[in-house]
Amino acid sequence: MQAMNVVVCVKQIPDPAAPASLDESTHTLDRTGKLILDDSDSYGVEMALQLADTEAGDEVVLVSMAPNGEVSGLRTALAMGAAKALLVSDPVLAGTDALGTAKVLAAAIRRVEPDLVIAATESTDGYTGTLPVQVAEILGLPSVTFAKSISIDGSNVKVERQTEAGYDEVESPMPVVVTVTAGVVEPRYPSFKGIMAAKSKPVETLTVADLGLDASEVGVSGSRQEIVDVSEAESRSGGEIVVDEGDGADRIVAFLEQIKVI
Amino acid sequence: MYEWSEEQLAIRDAVRRFVDDEVRPRVELLEHGDEPPYGVIRKFYSTFGLDEIARERFAAQLRRKVAGDGAPARRGGEASAAMTLIAIIELCRCCPGIVTAMGVSTALAAGTVMKSGTPAQMERWGLDLLTFDKIGAWAITEADSGSDALGGMKATARRDGDGYVLNGNKTFITNGPYADTIVFYAKLDDGTVADPRERPVLTFVLDRGMEGLEQSKPFKKMGLHSSPTGELFLSDVRVGKDRLLGEGESEMKGAGRESAKDNFATERAGIAAMSLGVIEECLTRCVEYAKNRLLWGKPIGDFELIQLKLARMEVARLNVENLVFRHIETVSAGKSLSLAEASAMKLYCAQAASEVAMDAVQLFGGNGYMSDFRVEQLARDAKVFQIYAGTDEIQVTHIARDLLSR
Repeated sequence: MQAMNVVVCVKQIPDPAAPASLDESTHTLDRTGKLILDDSDSYGVEMALQLADTEAGDEVVLVSMAPNGEVSGLRTALAMGAAKALLVSDPVLAGTDALGTAKVLAAAIRRVEPDLVIAATESTDGYTGTLPVQVAEILGLPSVTFAKSISIDGSNVKVERQTEAGYDEVESPMPVVVTVTAGVVEPRYPSFKGIMAAKSKPVETLTVADLGLDASEVGVSGSRQEIVDVSEAESRSGGEIVVDEGDGADRIVAFLEQIKVI
Repeated sequence: MYEWSEEQLAIRDAVRRFVDDEVRPRVELLEHGDEPPYGVIRKFYSTFGLDEIARERFAAQLRRKVAGDGAPARRGGEASAAMTLIAIIELCRCCPGIVTAMGVSTALAAGTVMKSGTPAQMERWGLDLLTFDKIGAWAITEADSGSDALGGMKATARRDGDGYVLNGNKTFITNGPYADTIVFYAKLDDGTVADPRERPVLTFVLDRGMEGLEQSKPFKKMGLHSSPTGELFLSDVRVGKDRLLGEGESEMKGAGRESAKDNFATERAGIAAMSLGVIEECLTRCVEYAKNRLLWGKPIGDFELIQLKLARMEVARLNVENLVFRHIETVSAGKSLSLAEASAMKLYCAQAASEVAMDAVQLFGGNGYMSDFRVEQLARDAKVFQIYAGTDEIQVTHIARDLLSR
């Protein structure tokens, strides 16, 4: 079987453990500092590595976009075992919306000629959840969402796709875009040797022009969506304290039925 | 070197995640239950590929030994030293006992076999100790000879045909209760040297279950509960020459004492990193507590006596971190610390860790005395840094002797 190229779309985000700030004019997240690998992408990286581990010669390539040339998050995924990374970095990308990002990533992915493209279902800083299918549409590829497992069968991919009731068994010809649900695999720790080797793995940096895209298609000017206002979330109410007077279990069941959990 | 590199920070973050996921949730079991630390240590090894690194290092050391190259093997200089020390620091933020159990097995027991053993002995015992497939103990201390370990040693090795008969008891032996492989120091008793203090020290390797060898149950201790410590009792244990490291008394002339002293320097450098882990954890917890604990309507961090404690902790952290960085730079320059330098580093760092941890207990007040807040465990653990691997008092004598000999 011919060696397979697996692309994983990864996002580098501000560390959720550190205090975040918003740009006052665009209401977008300040991304000027150190960025880390989005935790939700670590599952896709792990799944891609598991697929690549089964066949010699298969390679996992990371594709990412960041306005400030940051590679810390990419190094984390390279330390886990990805072979190389392609980073689109350009000041004109600041403020790009989901569709603009999809155009950029699709152009970058096309250069790799992938057999399989894996992405998280959504990022943990933006949560739009629209990017992967936009990438698939731009590339003219089928897409399968919410995968809990992926296997390769010849030139097809078999996916167990999570649903509210259980999972569907879906089969698609490759190349294909598959989104992976968080928590379905245990992302590996990078080994010490992997961490030391990551610094010498290739990270190719491209600009928007390198991809043949026009700057007007990306950034704030190319965005079709605009964040017009941001307001603080309401603080949670204190809840209701129920004293168990022998009917505690019944009252819990009644409450769960009321909110339609059971 | 004044800060960790990007790769070193990545290693730190990965180990920190491992500690949060694998060690913190079971620290109560390790400290106060019946769970020995070896399962966690083996998982640590396999998770980060340390077993694979150990195998490569073993192969390189064996090749050098076979080629007759007596020089110490290069171990990757700065990268290797930093990797080891970062792991020590991070594990010690939560559970210093794990580091003690791991270090004694892989650095002291394995290190002695690899340095003083023949190629056959390295293959027989060294590899399994380096990969942590087997648990090692390093047995030198006796009940009546702690700081005077070499001079006052009473354990004997009496010639018996082609082999020896070993007798004697050892105490305070880390991993003693569970060790598969024991590096055992004893004095040659052949009647030719009248003064027992001057008799040659020989180093043997023993296996668990040998006839005449008894391993005690773990001691109950003030701290470091996750590091099992015990006694060894040897009664007419018969060994062949194949268990004498180097397989010859002439090769071992003076080598037993020297290999022990080499290990003293290794241990002392490691304790600087252990101290840094304890200090960093205490300081992090204390700053957070000082910001959030309210008294008379304001955070206790507003009070100057609390600020004084925090400032002293930060000074200690910077000093100890600088000593760790200095050690890494020394190694990366292909040099090693003298025993006196290692003693000075160990003396300062051990005292700093103990003081910081006790101050952390004080800063937390009543909560500090409760185990839920973790600092009391670190305070109990840090106290041993001033006792094992050479007491504070012995470090003083080594430093002073070196100064006065110039």
